[in-house]
Amino acid sequence: MSAFIYGVFLQWKLDLRSKTLLIACYLVPLSFFAIMGGIFTSVMPESRHTLIQSMTVFGVTMGAFIGLPPSLVEIYGSAVKKVYQANGVPLWLGLALTNLSAFLHLLTMSVLLYLAAPVFFHAALPENPGLFFAGTALFAAVSLGAASVIGMAVKDQAKASMFSILVFLPSIMLSGIMFPAELLPKPFRAAGNLFPAAWGYRLLTARTFRRAELLPLLLIFLFTVLLCAGLLRRLRRR
Amino acid sequence: MEYAIQIRGLRKSYGNHPVLKGLDFQVRQGEIFALLGVNGAGKTTALECMEGLRSYDSGEILVNGRVGIQLQSASLPEHIKAIEAVRLFAKWRRVPPGKSRREMPDALGIGEIAQKPYYQLSTGQKRRLHLALALIGDPDILFLDEPAAGLDVEGRAALHQEIRRLQSQGKTILLASHDMAEVESLCSRIAILSDGIIAFTGTPWELKEKVGTHYHITVRTSAGMESFTTDRVEEALPALFARCREKGTVISDLRVDRGSLEEHFLKIAKKEETK
Repeated sequence: MSAFIYGVFLQWKLDLRSKTLLIACYLVPLSFFAIMGGIFTSVMPESRHTLIQSMTVFGVTMGAFIGLPPSLVEIYGSAVKKVYQANGVPLWLGLALTNLSAFLHLLTMSVLLYLAAPVFFHAALPENPGLFFAGTALFAAVSLGAASVIGMAVKDQAKASMFSILVFLPSIMLSGIMFPAELLPKPFRAAGNLFPAAWGYRLLTARTFRRAELLPLLLIFLFTVLLCAGLLRRLRRR
Repeated sequence: MEYAIQIRGLRKSYGNHPVLKGLDFQVRQGEIFALLGVNGAGKTTALECMEGLRSYDSGEILVNGRVGIQLQSASLPEHIKAIEAVRLFAKWRRVPPGKSRREMPDALGIGEIAQKPYYQLSTGQKRRLHLALALIGDPDILFLDEPAAGLDVEGRAALHQEIRRLQSQGKTILLASHDMAEVESLCSRIAILSDGIIAFTGTPWELKEKVGTHYHITVRTSAGMESFTTDRVEEALPALFARCREKGTVISDLRVDRGSLEEHFLKIAKKEETK
């Protein structure tokens, strides 16, 4: 257990030293929040009621899809994986540590948004903070699961970035955080439902945990966990 | 005779391409043993099968002792510091924490680079770190895959000194290499891997004996330079001196070399491949 805890602590430090994750988890989401928060609340004053939720969905999606895959490619797409194996470190450890560390970074970023939005943009706080953070944690876990599939399946950084952007952009555009999803044509709305961001936004803006949002998120999570297990098995066989 | 490693009938194919076609050899306890072969001969595959990192089709591998592994192509996350890598792997190998925190970096010879991130290390320092990681937990047997690859002369000499020191501590060392000079200076016995089988096992001297006892003679005289190859040095040298006396030339330099290990190795490797 002490080895695992040391591993989480070490990965947390490595992530802070790695500019990619720092940029993806903090710099871009918080800068986007600073700019878009001002624009949204000026153009549409009613967006104050959903500003924290929409910025959280943006930040978590960005941190997960842009920030996590490079760390995973660094381990599983290179000789690092073999060094871990040769030194008795189980293959799943890299996946677990990077996910846990990214999860902590995403929650930290969400707390920063939660605290800053009312101060700078008079944003309304969610009615039930406990529910909001539980929802954020679930949404972050699901997004990281999906991002893990990209990081484990792709072997080089350039391709991983390309796939990450391919998932990130439609996730944001179709999730409903930029404009109401109801305004989208039906096929686009349906496509948006394939990504965790759409369900995450609905979950965070809902007043209670509803089966309608929980079930799809849990299904996506289960699907990505199974895919990651399969990818780990494939790596072990090699 | 106690063996640290015994390999019997080891076979491994990648798809329809057989790489190892039944390897048989033993490594004695406490010796430095080299597995030689040209690029692509299957040295790394054989080593990885022995290390448990790669599955094999059939055969038997017996490894008698705790194992430390230095891979040919090894890497670590670029921002990890040397000391952090040592601590992480020490914790997973359950080495006492006191040892991993303070004493270990110096004991493993990485004291100077302990606080440096991996991406700032030179090739030699990276090699040193990976050897240090292999030594965590004080293994009995060390697998070193092309340990001197990419090192400069100084780094190579330091590495060789370290390998000899480890052997003097009683460790068994199996190294894969294609560097003949390294093998000749370090190893007590060698095995040549060619076309998926072991084509030769013995000492470097026995290898030279097996392939033939020819000598290269190079002589510089007042008339110029001459070099030739002979199997009978005891006849060639007197004949050379007689010729010089007859012509009245003066010998300024004379070298007699027994064929290099590299030449012998290539002969055996080539012979097996053309069979």
